[in-house]
Amino acid sequence: MNELSPISPSVASLLVVLLPFLACVVQALLGRKSISGNISLIAIVSSALLSFFAVFLPVWGNSPMAERITWFTIGQTSFEVGLLLNNLTVLMQLIVCVVAVPVHIYSRYYMKGDSGIHRYWMYLSLFCFAMLGLSISINLLQLYVFWELVGFASYLMIGFWFTRDAAVQANKKAFLINRIGDLGFLIGIALVYSHVGTLDIVALFDQTGRFVQGLTETGGLQVVQKDNTWVTLAGLAFFLGAMAKSAQFPLHVWLPDAMEGPTSVSSLIHAATMVAAGVFLLCTVFPLFNATSLLVITAIGTITALSGAVFALAQYDIKKILAFSTISQLGFMIVGVGIGAWDTALFHLATHAFFKCLLFLAAGAVIHEMAHFKAQTNLDFDPQDIRNMGGLRRYMPKTYVCMSIAALALAGFPLTSGYLSKDSIVVSAYEWASTAGGFYFVIPVTLIIVSLLTAFYIGRLIFKTFFGSFAMQSSVTAHNRPHEAPAGMWWPMSVLSICCFFPVFGLHPLAYHQTWIIQTFHARPGFTEQETAHLIIPIVLTVGTLLALLLGWFWYVKNRYPISQQNRWIRFANRQGYLNEFNELVFIKGTVGLSRLLYAFDRHVVDGATKLFTWTTQQLARLIHWFDANIVDGIVNWIANGTYYMGHLVRQVQNGQLQNYLGFALTIVILGILYLIIK
Amino acid sequence: MISITHFLIVSAIIFCIGVYAILAKRNAIMILVGIELMINASILNFVAFARYDSVNYGGQVFALFAIVLAAAAVAVGLAIILNVYRHYKTIDPKNINELKD
Repeated sequence: MNELSPISPSVASLLVVLLPFLACVVQALLGRKSISGNISLIAIVSSALLSFFAVFLPVWGNSPMAERITWFTIGQTSFEVGLLLNNLTVLMQLIVCVVAVPVHIYSRYYMKGDSGIHRYWMYLSLFCFAMLGLSISINLLQLYVFWELVGFASYLMIGFWFTRDAAVQANKKAFLINRIGDLGFLIGIALVYSHVGTLDIVALFDQTGRFVQGLTETGGLQVVQKDNTWVTLAGLAFFLGAMAKSAQFPLHVWLPDAMEGPTSVSSLIHAATMVAAGVFLLCTVFPLFNATSLLVITAIGTITALSGAVFALAQYDIKKILAFSTISQLGFMIVGVGIGAWDTALFHLATHAFFKCLLFLAAGAVIHEMAHFKAQTNLDFDPQDIRNMGGLRRYMPKTYVCMSIAALALAGFPLTSGYLSKDSIVVSAYEWASTAGGFYFVIPVTLIIVSLLTAFYIGRLIFKTFFGSFAMQSSVTAHNRPHEAPAGMWWPMSVLSICCFFPVFGLHPLAYHQTWIIQTFHARPGFTEQETAHLIIPIVLTVGTLLALLLGWFWYVKNRYPISQQNRWIRFANRQGYLNEFNELVFIKGTVGLSRLLYAFDRHVVDGATKLFTWTTQQLARLIHWFDANIVDGIVNWIANGTYYMGHLVRQVQNGQLQNYLGFALTIVILGILYLIIK
Repeated sequence: MISITHFLIVSAIIFCIGVYAILAKRNAIMILVGIELMINASILNFVAFARYDSVNYGGQVFALFAIVLAAAAVAVGLAIILNVYRHYKTIDPKNINELKD
């Protein structure tokens, strides 16, 4: 099985992980001396090649491989680290590598001339290392370590332009919200460990693992009873971790703000890979979930998909639209996991990684050129605001084509990869609902509505950016006009746009069951397939998408916009459902208020008690001091003084006057005689 | 009739005068005189009581010894006083108080 490469898949995958780490270390050591990014680029290209030829091809579709070494031992318990190579992990690793390569190439041009570019390459390699390591971890604790590392890399990248206040606020926000999720993940790990006694992913979640079959014949271990309360709690705890990382409602608030980072980073970290880590985690621990936790996951995923799409409708910042689109699509994936069809979730993860990365890169190209134009003309406008764009397809045709392809994939247009993956989730959700019946139909219906909203908002973005007339037309001259992005930027985009089409994922353009990802994973969800759903839903979606795009065309290109800008609903969506304000009011103000209260308590009650105690002690000490000085010392001094005066009195006799001595002697003799006489 | 009692009374008076001189006088020579008076009072007692020893005349003999001894003592005492004077430039016993503590 290993004829393609001379080294074993385990060693190769270790190299895939370690090469970017090496690049990060070398870049850190070289510092400002190395600004070309060649080190990181070479590392990630080698990683990608190794990942495809030496890891993915030998392992994909074959039996899993695992390598473990003992990390540390506490008492009788050993913790192990290692590599797990199965279909899921090698696919994830490959996606990360393949998306990272175009982003690296693109970054060379996008970040050119930035004063902190040496840091940029270092962080980018750090992120690649952490994400690749995360994908092949064999142990939940090891997974958690890499989980934290990707979060840290994301934190560094959001705050890359740390002189901007907004960037600092955004990375703080991302960090804090991810802490909530990480806490959930940690609680989940602790629950699993305390009840099952191992964190090994194979031992827990494999086909023969504790959550699937148990090892009743050999080890006498029981299958974990799924209806235990702790299983539900652990499932929800893991989901909390995934919620923060994958930006699920209501913990999604960090992702739109995270767009303060460089656009190339947004495309890699905050669209394609890191935010998908939550979905990846859920797929990894899928056997852990029971019916209750799956229902919660489905509900949250649906709410996220809907709210993300609604908020995306009214954003003006091109990156924020895409950020909310990412949130919405992540909601789709989470729904896919929640209904048990985690293979569709993973499929959507794979397709989404490519087209969303491409959307971001194209948006980055637009922003790049708008910023150039702004610098040339000395105008003051926001280069990310789509109201300042329009008609750019005449100036940047290649970017326009790339972005349109990605937008069609996002909208789920036939022949694109997005059509396959989105349909797979919606159809599965419909089948799931028809098995469960009744109220559960809310979920597929919502997903269909979200798909139409998706088509509308991405249409709005494309129309407002590339169609109509340029908002700055009056400033355009023969020399000062927006240009096409440099070749180094649109080449990676065109590579990615090829990946937006169906042949990359399967030969049949319309049937998602025949794509290689779904065929290999083949999750067996507990619902029956329905032929009619496979026919009706794609038609409904496609027609709906076309109608939504048409509506967008009339509204934005033909300028027949019927709604006032000040409409209450538009404002609601534009302000992201006032969630930030809500958080500000409830959590921040609440925390500050509580802190004030505690401060006052501390200041007055705790300090007061201390002060009272001090005062009492002081007074008591004063009393004792007085007693000591006056009574104890007084007695001693009185005795001493009395003795002194007595001695002084008698001392007067010893005055050296012989006559006195004789006088005394005489007196005593006379007294003696008198005594004798009287007696 | 002069009885022994009269002798003793005179002797006691002389003795008391001597004691007074020793205790009260501000001159060392007068103290020496006081000592002589006391010695003479005791000699008078010897002589007075010698009346009852008419065999050996012990009292008279003892009185003679005492007179010689007193003369010698006075000579020594005067020599001491002379030296004290040389040392202290005074013979007032009040000023010679080096025996005090």
